[in-house]
Amino acid sequence: MKALDRLLPLIQNETLKIWKKKRFFVILLVLLILIPIFTYAQHRIDETNKKNFKDWRNQLVQQISEYQNTLASDRIPEEWKLSRRIAVQQLQYYLDHDVNPNSPDGVTFTRTFLSNAVTLFFPLLVLALASDLVSGESAAGTIKMLLTRPVRRWKILFSKLVALSLYVSLTVVMTAVLCYLISGAVFGYKGWEMPVFTGFVINGSSIDSGFAHAIPQGLYLLMEAGLIWVSAMTVALLALMVSVLVRSTAASIVTMMAAVISGTILSNMASSWHSAKFIFSVNLQLTDYLAGSPPPITGMTLGFSLVTLACWGIASLIVSFSVFTKQDILN
Amino acid sequence: MRPLSSGNLWRIIGIFAVLSTLLLVAGFGFAVKDLLYPKGGAFTGKSNVPALPAEGKLSEGKDIVITAIGDSLTKGTGDASGEGYVKQLVALLKQKYPDTSVRLNNNLAVNGLKADWLEQLLESDKGYSFALRQANVIVFTIGGNDLFQIASGTSPGKAADGLNLDKLKADLPQALNRLAKVVKRLHAINPHAQVVYVGMYNPFYNIPEYRGGSLQIQQWNERAYALLHQYSNMTMVPTFDLFENAIGRYLSSDHFHPNHDGYAQIAARIVQSLE
Repeated sequence: MKALDRLLPLIQNETLKIWKKKRFFVILLVLLILIPIFTYAQHRIDETNKKNFKDWRNQLVQQISEYQNTLASDRIPEEWKLSRRIAVQQLQYYLDHDVNPNSPDGVTFTRTFLSNAVTLFFPLLVLALASDLVSGESAAGTIKMLLTRPVRRWKILFSKLVALSLYVSLTVVMTAVLCYLISGAVFGYKGWEMPVFTGFVINGSSIDSGFAHAIPQGLYLLMEAGLIWVSAMTVALLALMVSVLVRSTAASIVTMMAAVISGTILSNMASSWHSAKFIFSVNLQLTDYLAGSPPPITGMTLGFSLVTLACWGIASLIVSFSVFTKQDILN
Repeated sequence: MRPLSSGNLWRIIGIFAVLSTLLLVAGFGFAVKDLLYPKGGAFTGKSNVPALPAEGKLSEGKDIVITAIGDSLTKGTGDASGEGYVKQLVALLKQKYPDTSVRLNNNLAVNGLKADWLEQLLESDKGYSFALRQANVIVFTIGGNDLFQIASGTSPGKAADGLNLDKLKADLPQALNRLAKVVKRLHAINPHAQVVYVGMYNPFYNIPEYRGGSLQIQQWNERAYALLHQYSNMTMVPTFDLFENAIGRYLSSDHFHPNHDGYAQIAARIVQSLE
């Protein structure tokens, strides 16, 4: 308890420092600008579909037919066909159970937005918070004041870590809340009860729907946010490490962004390079496992991704703490 | 408004952040439990069967709803504009019935589709039945891939190489059997719609060795007509004559599918057959 008593003021101090730097306001501002844009785009798509299709079932059956056409083509690479084949089976499952997978409402929009944001957008927001956590102190020269106080160094880094985690949680929750509030104004604030299917098991090129089951979309959203939090936290831990290692904030942001973007590119290449699955940024799209989409590299599972992310997280914590507690501060 | 003291600010941020974290960790827990230990649960959706359209003449109805199914011909492969005969048919029907709303419900054609696969789709795919039941005009093509055994996109040389007139003759009864099943299914799904089958043509008429194939094609067309003839709402439009002397004008560069003008002629024939 005594240790906590001493830590709490430090955490409070670090939390308020991030708040005063107005990083969180920047994040909110970005969200307030981006979400309406995507809401409008989605609205336009819905309008077009409404004009062309009488019923969502017609739209779905047309989509399935279009996927089947790409499956029939000889020019499409086998890896693409695999993901299309799985998508066809999933859509067919929705159609067979008479559930609209894209019903236009606030909760569905939020669910789609979050799952699209997990590989690039959330890491970017996390970097806005984390990248100058330590390197900012080096750049401003305040690191010396911080380290000359009669507090153990690990406690300083630990309090920074806790403050960062708090803001990561706030960012994920605020994104979901803002998404729901803004898109709901256009699409309506409903959809919590709507069934969403999860538990599709991918076996090679086919999908086993034996374990598929419906859960209310509200619960699905919560599960999705939880998975996003885990990938965002991994990015945060890595960013903290980079921020300790690199003294310039710009360099720290660039390093992390490069790592995250390269992961996205690698996942999109339907990689035949199997060891790429050990790279953290290939594993960030945890929400895919919930949706039953094929993973970027065959053989990846939720368990595998969680262990991989945990390894990266723990390794970066070890590096951060050992470097930060031993490092000489020079000018 | 008084600015918050830093103590209060910390309390607000701290409480919200801790609550958010707990919520997210709970969500993560649910997700992991659900994914690692999945429990299959039966979900019985309500089945949705649309009402059949009214019977009767198109000119007397309020609207014309078209559903197209079949192979690459219905898909419109070979038409550089992507319209195929289906979209041109919609345009022509709009001209013919200016007071009626004409709408393409779905074009569910798949390149390379064969009759047995189509029969399966009709039997088990709820989406197909749904889209077909809404329609009062159904247009379809099938059989080309069963007879020629070639998928779309195959080069013309290869297509002709793979063609064996004896085999074509041998495959005919089996393919016709499949067509019979398709027609029966189609009638079971929607007995009210006007159904138009687009007859087959010989895309290799201008290659001397394969000219004889036209006789087999004609046999197919005759037998196909006999199948459709059992149902008063079904008919067939011929296309073989378009691709004999005028084959250069109406066939696309893949030497198998019609081009835009070829499809336009097919659409015109379908319109003539509808009333």
